[in-house]
Amino acid sequence: MRKFFPVEELARDERFNKITMRDRMGDPRTALNVSTDASGKRTNNFRLTPGRRDASDGARGLMHGIFVGEIQALEGAGRTCWDFETDTEAPFALKLDMARQCWDEARHVEISVKLSDWMGSEIGQYAENTVLFEAACSTDPVLRLAGVNRALEGLAIDVFTTMKEFGDLAGDPYLEFCEDWMLADEVTHVKMGSDWLRKITENDPDRRKKALEFQSVVDKLFSYGGTRSDSQESPIGLARRFRELAGFTDDEVADIAEVSMQALNERKSAVAKMREAADQFASSAAAE
Amino acid sequence: MADPYKPRAPFAPWDRRTLPGIFDVEESARRVGNYKWAEMKLFEVLGGWVATVPELDVKMRLGTHCYKHAWHAELWHKRLPELREMNPDRLTVPANDAMVRFVEAMTEPEAPELTIEKLVGVYRVFIPRFIAAYTYHLNGTSEITDAPTIRSLKFILHDEFEDWRDGEMILQSLIETPEEAARAASHMQKLEAIMIEAGGIAGIGTLGAQ
Repeated sequence: MRKFFPVEELARDERFNKITMRDRMGDPRTALNVSTDASGKRTNNFRLTPGRRDASDGARGLMHGIFVGEIQALEGAGRTCWDFETDTEAPFALKLDMARQCWDEARHVEISVKLSDWMGSEIGQYAENTVLFEAACSTDPVLRLAGVNRALEGLAIDVFTTMKEFGDLAGDPYLEFCEDWMLADEVTHVKMGSDWLRKITENDPDRRKKALEFQSVVDKLFSYGGTRSDSQESPIGLARRFRELAGFTDDEVADIAEVSMQALNERKSAVAKMREAADQFASSAAAE
Repeated sequence: MADPYKPRAPFAPWDRRTLPGIFDVEESARRVGNYKWAEMKLFEVLGGWVATVPELDVKMRLGTHCYKHAWHAELWHKRLPELREMNPDRLTVPANDAMVRFVEAMTEPEAPELTIEKLVGVYRVFIPRFIAAYTYHLNGTSEITDAPTIRSLKFILHDEFEDWRDGEMILQSLIETPEEAARAASHMQKLEAIMIEAGGIAGIGTLGAQ
């Protein structure tokens, strides 16, 4: 078996439909998503709450996103066990942590399958964005930990916190219970990433800088055009408290908040331009 | 209540443990080093294979089993200094060259159509060899002087039996035709031939025979 596995070859059964980040963001339904409340009134609050008119489908879609994300997180942690030689490329204890993460992610896949079933969706009902595994393809284990354990798993903390709150508000203790357990694991994984990043790059500031830059790029990518931020206009909130528990400094959380807001504003600007173009087209069509 | 000052036998009548064992400290450490090396190779490949198998249930099992073998490697890593090996890496080695070739052959399959070969190597050849080596060690070592190794062996054997059963049941559910059965048998035969040369997880003499 090769070292370093290409994202295009991730093995899936026939139910899955893989897409790239480019496909996802190029889908006009993503950019022009309109939030309405239960009465059908347009609102700027995109946060996933039971009051949203599309709450059921939104929650099912997010759950499926969690499910495929957990599969890729499992695959990424597994590849870190295999891709790097013990001690010369990655410390033995780091690989033990990655193996532990494999077990955790495998359980999360199991939980996600059962929750998806509970919420009324099926495997493959939504497309699978493979961007998460791409962050796990770095040839430097430190960059991989920064991308996967701090950026990806950090996003998971935000997502699980939002889903846990959604379960609470929707009166679904089953969902809330499971999300709470998964959240505990994710905080552990992010902390692993934070600890290893500091330990391995203790005497290598250049490598640390490079890893943090990579994490920043992945963080922006995972902000999904404003999907995750402090603003209520983002479906997923930033779980500041749990991020602190996971080893993020106040400055690091502030940076992620800023990057996320930038991504949200970029998306809003793009949507405004598209709406303007649509209005102009409608006006000229009416004039003709 | 019995008189607390009345002399009692240091070993209760039901405690039949005995002192003699067939391994001295050095031999026990050598074996433990081989176990650690083999468990490491196993957890690494299980983790690597997760991305290569399309079957969702197999992915999840490999991920779960990956951790168990990593934990076994960690237990042996911690045991080595207690067996007077202060540099655990020195003894973290394959039993012999044939064992290295076995691991190379076992870890070779990558294509998504080769799940049967991947599982046969682990669950029909490698893990049964672990069970044999650990059982021999458990039954042969001193029940008193080597009690810490025995405790680890019991934890680990419990995992090995559970994982072997998981893997065997998955294999039985994957092998649906005589051709697939032949594939499984052919791969098993190829790997067994190398393993026979290696003599087992701890090399020639793993099960006592010279």
